[in-house]
Amino acid sequence: MNRAAEQPEPNPLREGLSARAVPQPCTIVIFGATGDLTQRKLIPALYNLAADGDLPPAVAIVGFARREKSDDEFRTELEEATRKFSRQAVRDEIWKTFAQSIFYHQSEFEDEAGYKTLAKRLDEIDEECGTRGNRLFYFAAAPDQFEPILKHLKAAGLNETCKGSWARVIVEKPFGTDLASARELNRIVRHSFSEEQTYRIDHFLGKETAQNILVLRFANAIFAPLWNTHYIDHVQITAAETLGVETRGGFYEGAGALRDMVQNHLLQLLCLIAMEPPIDLSADSIRDEKVKVVRSLRRFAQSEIAANVVRGQYAQGAIDGKLVAGYRKEPKVKSDSQTETFVALRLYIDDWRWADVPIYMRVGKRLPKSATEISIHFKKAPAVLFNKNLSDQNVLVIRIQPDEGISLRIHAKVPGTSFRVEPVKMDFHYGTSFGKASPEAYERLLLDAMSGDATLFARRDEVEEAWAFIDVIESAWSAKKDAPGLFPYPAGSWGPDEADDLLARDGRAWRRL
Amino acid sequence: MPPVAENYSLGFQVELNKIDSELKKLWAQGEGAMTRASLVNLAVYSEAPGSLEKNTQLIAKIAENHACRAIVIGADCKTKENRVEAWISAHCHISRTGSKQICSEQISFLLEGPCTNLLPSIVFSHLDSDLPFYLWWQSEFREPMDRQFWAWVDRVIYDSQTWKDFRAQMRLVESAQKEAKQRIVLCDLNWTRLDRVRFALAQFFDHPASHHRFAKIKKARIDFAPGFRSTAVLFAGWLAAQLNWRIEKRNGGGVLQFINLNGHKIDIELRERPGEPIGEIVLNSREVEFVVSRAKCGDLLEVSRGEPGEKRLPQLMPAGSNDPVSLMSEELMRGGPHHVYLHAVNCVRDLL
Repeated sequence: MNRAAEQPEPNPLREGLSARAVPQPCTIVIFGATGDLTQRKLIPALYNLAADGDLPPAVAIVGFARREKSDDEFRTELEEATRKFSRQAVRDEIWKTFAQSIFYHQSEFEDEAGYKTLAKRLDEIDEECGTRGNRLFYFAAAPDQFEPILKHLKAAGLNETCKGSWARVIVEKPFGTDLASARELNRIVRHSFSEEQTYRIDHFLGKETAQNILVLRFANAIFAPLWNTHYIDHVQITAAETLGVETRGGFYEGAGALRDMVQNHLLQLLCLIAMEPPIDLSADSIRDEKVKVVRSLRRFAQSEIAANVVRGQYAQGAIDGKLVAGYRKEPKVKSDSQTETFVALRLYIDDWRWADVPIYMRVGKRLPKSATEISIHFKKAPAVLFNKNLSDQNVLVIRIQPDEGISLRIHAKVPGTSFRVEPVKMDFHYGTSFGKASPEAYERLLLDAMSGDATLFARRDEVEEAWAFIDVIESAWSAKKDAPGLFPYPAGSWGPDEADDLLARDGRAWRRL
Repeated sequence: MPPVAENYSLGFQVELNKIDSELKKLWAQGEGAMTRASLVNLAVYSEAPGSLEKNTQLIAKIAENHACRAIVIGADCKTKENRVEAWISAHCHISRTGSKQICSEQISFLLEGPCTNLLPSIVFSHLDSDLPFYLWWQSEFREPMDRQFWAWVDRVIYDSQTWKDFRAQMRLVESAQKEAKQRIVLCDLNWTRLDRVRFALAQFFDHPASHHRFAKIKKARIDFAPGFRSTAVLFAGWLAAQLNWRIEKRNGGGVLQFINLNGHKIDIELRERPGEPIGEIVLNSREVEFVVSRAKCGDLLEVSRGEPGEKRLPQLMPAGSNDPVSLMSEELMRGGPHHVYLHAVNCVRDLL
């Protein structure tokens, strides 16, 4: 998307071959190389890119982690993981050539000497593999390790490169746990890498349907005149999952649904739905418009939180007919935990386009089905003619996952001699219309980072503005006096009744998913 | 699901004036989770005997990845008696999520005798409205080219590798394109055949620091399989068009000579070898050699660069396949105009 990506001289042989910015040769250094993210997502994504022929001609991967192991042991581990988690079957001959550019570098994150030897090794890899001094540092380690890693990278001179080369850093979420920690994290990152070098990954933005929101809005003239307070009654965003916290109880206790999902994924989706048209498709033009949406979110006073935000926690219940434990019985979760596993919010965007249009969001674990969807509910037609007794509205639904697609609910006459009108659905399914599977979000995002296209990555101000909005809610929840309640809901239900009341008070109801 | 047990049968014979109503019946008989899908009208025209059955097989496979309304036409212009027959069928497959049947419908026509002139009206009356119209033309183009018919075509797909007289055929295609005010995109499967090797060679030069090598290219070699000389010439035309070379002369021994902007000569050797349409490409820029060749496993390309005697780290990339289903799938995935193709053709038109 980023036309201003670092492509000073176009390659004449590329003309007509690729519609995207071309990824450059580079070495990808993964901090936290023995962790889950590397094995489940990063290496399978890189392998798939290699198998599809999308990787640049020279790419090397260096795993940086504490444990002692050889290059070959590391490769064997990654091969096993890739065979398990890759979206396409691993072919021996492709893996063999792919794996010859994978290396392991053992060091403690705090050990300065480890970075000096890393620098030396990267230079050797440049010589051997032709990676041209380009470095992509991927932080897949715990956030509390970022500071020593960044400090030592800088000390070793790895944050800078010679002319014509680049160094970039990809930072995994969470980007802080509140505004203060996000600012601190950004300060630490900025100390070693400029904003242009920093890529904050939010894998929701790598999903095909999330990207398609921009196409739907700005490539289809029919929606543009309707996309405002005059025609839209309200918007709903739902991110539901049937899973509980699984093995992430320890992490989740310190995060909760608001920090884990709303601050990043859901607000990013809201930005794509609500933003003004950018002046072009460059990363900053798009992000300039997105950040305006977050800035325009109406800030709640603490006393308004209870009326606009509902938090819940799943209790024992059933998913798909099987009994499941309540949150407080999950491993590594306190028996009196106050962590929310469900949040419902009513938001307003105070700008010209969205004035007085409520945005309802809900996110939760252990809900009846897994689905992430956005629905635009249009205002009712005048209550005359056919509409005197109609309660339904036109609804445009954008399904992010699973079964990506778009549907539009309209009214139609039921065949017969009377004028009975019923809602019908026009449905577009990606999987039906396009036989080719979409790449995984990480594939797209890794390729973008190698190409210097930051469009689908969050910018510093977006992250900080989002935290500024979230902090007010967190602060109200943690108040010693008059804190809004935490409502239990049975696993397998659509959340606490209070979430339904949030809409019922406005004469509305959650969409049935 | 519709009562179409065999994927490759022509389906049910129907009367010409009842095709629409019979199609409706076909879907009405459907059972279970079944979805009709269509992104494009894909008409296939062939005059080869037995083409209807063969193309039905191809469409069944193509439709798995490219939902379409297929209009398959088999024509025999030599018979004297007029005969038109029609069949309807559906090609169904299970969706990626495994939850439902995705079906594309096919209408097949057998045209015999002078009624082959009815082609435009038959196609026009069975297009799925508002969807693009792609025409896969498997025969030689002949005059007169029906102006109204060609004005409806969005993309015409052909394989110039099968043409006996490239210049004459290209002239007809270009005149049709001109009649359609340049709206038709020309899609040559012989060009699609080169996609992967062009991609593999291009990626060596993505880094601006490697661009100086263009001016130092002295020679190249293209190995092609018997019958695919035109594919190799088209590849040479692509290099010449993109790097601003002009043709100097054609030696009898299979060597094309080009001149670059600095007046330096570049020799491109075309060598016939059994195997894949394009077996190997070697490009020499002074001391550095760029190689794209078929890997031993067949469906991958092995790409490497380096100086003679230097250790190389070959990479493997998808090679694509020369079968019509793969070529068509590749072509249908691409969009936009093919002006690079036209530049390549113009560079070597007289050699094709």
